[in-house]
Amino acid sequence: MNYNFQFGVVWENFPALLEGAWLTFQLGCFAFAGGALIGLVGAALKTYAPWPIRFLVDCYVVFITNTPALIQIYFLYFGLPEVGVRWSNEACLLIGLTLNAGAYLTLILRAGFLSVRITEIEAGQTLGMSLLQQVRYIIVPHIAKSIYPALANFFIVVLVMGTSVGALIGVDELTGQAINLSSVNYRWLEYFTVVAGMYVVLTFIASIGLALLGRWAFRVKARIF
Amino acid sequence: MAHLAVSDVRASYGALEVLKGISFSIEKGEIAALVGPSGSGKSTVLRALMGLTPITGGEVDIAGETMNYSSAREVRAARDRMAIVFQQYNLFQNMTVMQNLTLAPLKIKNWDKAEVASEARRLLSLVGLADKADAFSDQLSGGQQQRVALARALALKPQILLLDEVTSALDPELVNEVLDAIRKLADEGMTMVIVSHEMAFVREVADKVAFMDAGQIVETGTPAELFDAPKTDRARDFFSKILRH
Ligand SMILES: Nc1ncnc2c1ncn2[C@@H]1O[C@H](COP(=O)(O)OP(=O)(O)OP(=O)(O)O)[C@@H](O)[C@H]1O
Ligand SMILES: [Mg+2]
Repeated sequence: MNYNFQFGVVWENFPALLEGAWLTFQLGCFAFAGGALIGLVGAALKTYAPWPIRFLVDCYVVFITNTPALIQIYFLYFGLPEVGVRWSNEACLLIGLTLNAGAYLTLILRAGFLSVRITEIEAGQTLGMSLLQQVRYIIVPHIAKSIYPALANFFIVVLVMGTSVGALIGVDELTGQAINLSSVNYRWLEYFTVVAGMYVVLTFIASIGLALLGRWAFRVKARIF
Repeated sequence: MAHLAVSDVRASYGALEVLKGISFSIEKGEIAALVGPSGSGKSTVLRALMGLTPITGGEVDIAGETMNYSSAREVRAARDRMAIVFQQYNLFQNMTVMQNLTLAPLKIKNWDKAEVASEARRLLSLVGLADKADAFSDQLSGGQQQRVALARALALKPQILLLDEVTSALDPELVNEVLDAIRKLADEGMTMVIVSHEMAFVREVADKVAFMDAGQIVETGTPAELFDAPKTDRARDFFSKILRH
């Protein structure tokens, strides 16, 4: 154990790592936001649509949640060119991650839809609420509150685990950037030590932001780690 | 003219007819109690009046005006005049006590903000919860939640209050605080229809009692008439069981 740590070269390239972290953050946010949109539609269809449509939603969810994200992204990355469709590496990653998150978020949001208590809705009706007012004052706040912790946790999963798959298809997000740089001068250990720290900081910032948002909006006492 | 007149009201859950022609009427400031065995349709009467269970026949008149339950829009007229308190409180979980009370007056009725707030505080002290305005429902006991539900129903200034077994989900020591709040309303002259199995309470506050069985009103009368000298076999059978212990 007399490895000689030399962080100097890592600090020289720190701006490049920061760029990677920024890309990671953006990918995480966009994939999560897109996934949330898909999840919202998926959960609504799962709850209210006739069975053939519910069946299609089930197929999507089962297919995605039972296969690795990496395989799904490889399908887009290696598979689409075979049929003449060419997307950039970033687009493949983002779309793959979004479709992946969409399936998980369908499940999470569906649980939220189911948790709305019919009795609260009836109370709203007897107070004279219109359908729109029921949605606005009872259904949406209830869903938001009940699934908020699950949403916050899943955002971290997308942010850290999801985006790092990009390294395998040549996207220079944080992990990819670290692999690129360290393969130049073989300071793997130093690079990955620093990058691990950066991931922790990134999730820490995201967690604090989410916890504050949750506490402010829904009184949710979220865990920060 | 009766304040609330229900004549030959029918209601079904799917193919099952649960109310088979219900008729009763109460004057302003009177309290009518619906009693009867489980499943006899007492809750359904109140739900039908509030437009939660569709009415399939008969007529409901409030102060001489016929209510129309045929569309969501028209049901509003009935909901404007009556308020219901459910057995399970059904408070809005994501709101404070104060927000539960003021949401409908502010957002649905567009009443004046300051007046709504002061009326809400008055109602909270009426039910003995002046200090709980900022609590959330999961921070309250069952009896406290039930009294918030009562205050919320009153915040819309209903002419008629419907109470569905408002004490049956409560521990015995919490029952009295809710009954006290209802007694105060009775003293203020609120017209009420109450479903209750607290026979001593019914005897004390109700002006008339209707005994229901299998979706019909079998016998009506004053509490004393029904409890002490029921005329029908079914009522005699029911009260002999429920009053003897
Ligand atoms: N949502 C529903 N779907 C189908 N049937 C129902 C539903 N709600 C009630 N019923 C049936 O309607 C009948 C009357 O029910 P209701 O709740 O009005 O009785 P109740 O007199 O209030 O009884 P309890 O004293 O137990 O509250 C019962 O036979 C019940 O099984
Ligand atoms: Mg009932």
